[in-house]
Amino acid sequence: MQEVVDEFNHAQNRIVVDFLSVGQIEEKTLLATAGGEPPDLSGVYQQDICAFADRDALTPLSSFIRADGSTPEQFLSRYARAYAGFGSYQGELWGVPTTPTTTALFWNKDDFRAAGLDPERPPRTLAELDEMSEKLTRRDAQGNLTQIGFLPQQENSWVWSFPLWFGGQIFDGKNITIGTNPANLATFDWILGYSERYGVNNLRRLTSTFGSLSTPDDPFVSGKVAIIFDGTWRYNFISQFAPGLNYGVAALPQVLPGINDFTIADADMLVIPRGAKHPREAWEFINYLSSPNLAAQSLDDLSGLERLCYVQKKPSPLVQWSPFFTAHHPNPDIAIFRQLAASPHAVTMPKMGIWVEYQRNIQLAFDKVRLKVAPPPRALQECQDRTQGSWQWYQQSLALRSKTTAATP
Amino acid sequence: MKRSIAGSFLIYGLLGSLSVLFLAPLAWMVSTSLKPLPQTVSLPMTWIPRAYYATIDGRRLEVSRDAEVAPGLWHVTEFSPTTWFTHKPVTAIVPAAQIETVIRPRWGNYPQALAVMGGGSLDVDPSLLPDHPFAASADSDVSFWTFLANTLTVCVLGVIGSVASNALVAYGFACVKWPGRDWFFALTLATMMIPGPVLMVPLYTEFRAFGWVGTLLPLWVPAFFGGAFNIFLMRQFFLTIPGDLTEAARIDGCSEWMIFWRIILPLSKPVLAVVALFTFLGGWNDFMGPLIYLTRKHTFTLALALQSYQSRHNGVEWNYLMAASVVVILPIVVLFFLTQKTFIRGIATTGLKA
Amino acid sequence: MKHHLQRLLTGLGFTLPWIIGLGVFTLYPVIASLYYSFCDYSVLQSAIWVGPDNYQRLLHDGTFWLSLRNTLIYAFGSLPLGMVVGLSLALLLNCRVRGTALFRTIFYLPSIVPVIASSMLWLWILNPSYGLINAALAPICHFFGQQPPGWLTDPAWSKPALILMSAWGVGNSMIIYLAGLQDVPEVLYEAAELDGAGKWQQFWHVTLPMIMPTIYFNLVMGIIGSMQIFTQVFIMTDGVQGTPAQSTLMYATYLFSTAFFDLRMGYACALAWVLFCLIALLTLGATRLLKERMSHVQ
Repeated sequence: MQEVVDEFNHAQNRIVVDFLSVGQIEEKTLLATAGGEPPDLSGVYQQDICAFADRDALTPLSSFIRADGSTPEQFLSRYARAYAGFGSYQGELWGVPTTPTTTALFWNKDDFRAAGLDPERPPRTLAELDEMSEKLTRRDAQGNLTQIGFLPQQENSWVWSFPLWFGGQIFDGKNITIGTNPANLATFDWILGYSERYGVNNLRRLTSTFGSLSTPDDPFVSGKVAIIFDGTWRYNFISQFAPGLNYGVAALPQVLPGINDFTIADADMLVIPRGAKHPREAWEFINYLSSPNLAAQSLDDLSGLERLCYVQKKPSPLVQWSPFFTAHHPNPDIAIFRQLAASPHAVTMPKMGIWVEYQRNIQLAFDKVRLKVAPPPRALQECQDRTQGSWQWYQQSLALRSKTTAATP
Repeated sequence: MKRSIAGSFLIYGLLGSLSVLFLAPLAWMVSTSLKPLPQTVSLPMTWIPRAYYATIDGRRLEVSRDAEVAPGLWHVTEFSPTTWFTHKPVTAIVPAAQIETVIRPRWGNYPQALAVMGGGSLDVDPSLLPDHPFAASADSDVSFWTFLANTLTVCVLGVIGSVASNALVAYGFACVKWPGRDWFFALTLATMMIPGPVLMVPLYTEFRAFGWVGTLLPLWVPAFFGGAFNIFLMRQFFLTIPGDLTEAARIDGCSEWMIFWRIILPLSKPVLAVVALFTFLGGWNDFMGPLIYLTRKHTFTLALALQSYQSRHNGVEWNYLMAASVVVILPIVVLFFLTQKTFIRGIATTGLKA
Repeated sequence: MKHHLQRLLTGLGFTLPWIIGLGVFTLYPVIASLYYSFCDYSVLQSAIWVGPDNYQRLLHDGTFWLSLRNTLIYAFGSLPLGMVVGLSLALLLNCRVRGTALFRTIFYLPSIVPVIASSMLWLWILNPSYGLINAALAPICHFFGQQPPGWLTDPAWSKPALILMSAWGVGNSMIIYLAGLQDVPEVLYEAAELDGAGKWQQFWHVTLPMIMPTIYFNLVMGIIGSMQIFTQVFIMTDGVQGTPAQSTLMYATYLFSTAFFDLRMGYACALAWVLFCLIALLTLGATRLLKERMSHVQ
């Protein structure tokens, strides 16, 4: 981001942007400064936008767009289908995506070959995924797992999206539906299936040998797991820790017949906190960032979002990419991620103010099921009750300040 | 109490074995910090870091032993002191007899661990890989020295504030008779029973209103305004100073301030030392305060930096994490050895007088 | 009169820093906290009074009860263990052996290690595959045909793991026990020995009653500390998740996440006051329990 900021500062002399790197706790910066002396621009996670918008902590962006002579719809049309709706909530635009990702399936071709599977053919259906996982699993002389094909549980797992992958629903716009939608149960039964097949203790022993993500001990990179779902950064880790790894990238397997381009889309967002001293100038930077040179023919020509995403080896969230960005992107698999961003079946997190808590509750239900602490119906019911209660409480809390929230699913 | 030989044996035996148990974690920490990464996750567990050399394709390379594929035969992989390679690492199957083993502690882990404490990647030579995946985060590098400076700021300022303010206040409670004094002191004692969480939210709101959230101020400014526990400790000590001294001074016409400065303080070195020491220790170890109040990486203290080191996605290996932990612990251990008597006396006093 | 006034002013003058400190950093927050506990407050917006709503909600909050249960289990596990280990070490050190200072250092050192560092260390030590503890336990477990425990990865063993770790930090209470032991007059032991009492009886009838105040002190400190456990849990169990499966979700981490992640500061204040009452109750219980023992001494 510093490079882009420098570029912006050089490109004109009315506005100077001061870039401050924040710590792990981005949301605490906004929390700390909202109402006080907030920064003019803040990078936040998508999951925080609704909570902050509900609590009047953000500056709406539509008026800036209109002052520029455009409309929000027109402005957002530049973004790929999966990302275009990200910052919109309750009829207003609160932020724009910066560095996005979609999710794909990665498979270890050498492991496939060693297991007698066609290394060029990834699993295309859920049944194939389960079968291939079985074939790719290896045990040592004592019966302990040394390698596994696929594990629903991964460090970067988007477990909340699995119900959506199965055709279920977790939020219908008004109510929590994790426990009430029948397709969700099928998802958790599938998760339980893995724990039953391999044994909770065996899995636990295997996963405790996993290093953390992005270290040489990462399970995929070190060959302990043959198939994973991950975002664009996976390439960064592979190229750093296991440059010879023979791997492939494909879309997630089908669960619902005919849907072979399901993916999870996410992005970091840029917002203008309420109370910022220079909102207009902040908007100019956002505009600059979101309008890169789409005719770029060389590295130096790259500007704005493209430069930012190039350096981070992420795709650009825009529909159009410059020739240089397309042809010379540092991530060799970027094309498939771009394709997935245009998918009609791309999902993202529901827009609700208590999403952070809801996600925690779903993760908890997932853990209870995979550790066999609770059977799926009960785990889902507990998640449902707890989250629905919290959601109602949240509504009451907002109503106190006479503000209703009409969240979108 | 007389003691039999068996009794002595038993006692020394117990003390010895318990000592080993208590020291083992620390020894393990140091051992891990000196190992290259593959050896931290090797089974069976080893304590001494080694370097293995094998000749592959005519070249003598340092390798890491991955697995014993057959009795006496090891699968080895080329070892890189950095965690990444510029080429695909060479692997081979080598008989155990042909692997040279040398004991080699990796002291280099320490500077490397500290270098990446604030962010950024390990061992990146920008000229080799211009678009290295983590180059983008290089601008968020905050050095270990910054974290150390922040921690020292909080500790030293806290000590100064704590010693100065508590001594003053304790004098007021111990040596000056004024109406309402004992009632006020009882109130002071009562406040010691309030658990931290009760104060957490309003304190946060207050500091936010002052504009101090995101700075180090909330961590040391309150020390300048006294603390119930230290007031109690110091007051108890002041009470042991004979009243005749102060009375004589008063008769001579000394002001209270003079008595405090010239008589009481010089005699109070022990308790001042205890308060200073424990305040310093508290500041060094404090985690929750920095967690709540510090938002920008360049303001982090060592405690918070160490934790964010763990939770970053930019790759943390156990050997580096242990090395960083040793560095955070070492100053306290040194401080302890230098001030043992004060430490022990301080704690003992707490327990007895309370 | 003037004398009184002058003394009053002097007294207030010396205690002025504390008056400010007490007011700003203690009394105001206590009152504000109580007020907020009856409000809906997200710190991003102003507080709105909702009466006893938060407290009523608390009673029906499953996570509250779970975190309380976890915390109590931890407290009732680590307190007795800490007492036994601390007192035993103190008794051993009290035996007038050579090298007392060295042993004392060894046992005390772990308790001043920064919690963040010791948490990282224990996270590593408790690793089910590569950690020190399971490396030592593995041969024993295998002999019985079992696998060593999963510690922090197993919901059934995660709290025991934390309790085990707490035993490492008894140095502080050990020093206090030692001071208490050294205060017991020799004459009492000699008298008991003359009466024909063996070592164990001496311990039970002389030592224990005489150090009751010390035990009481450590117990109260222990209750206050263990009920508020935060840092170790935060670092070793994935922040406020209480992994695995919320088995390590403690009261303080639940409170923290309610305040700073869910932005429900009013509710967090209510939780804090309930904690205050609980700690007071437990302390009262401890006092009752040991009061008779202590009065015997007098």
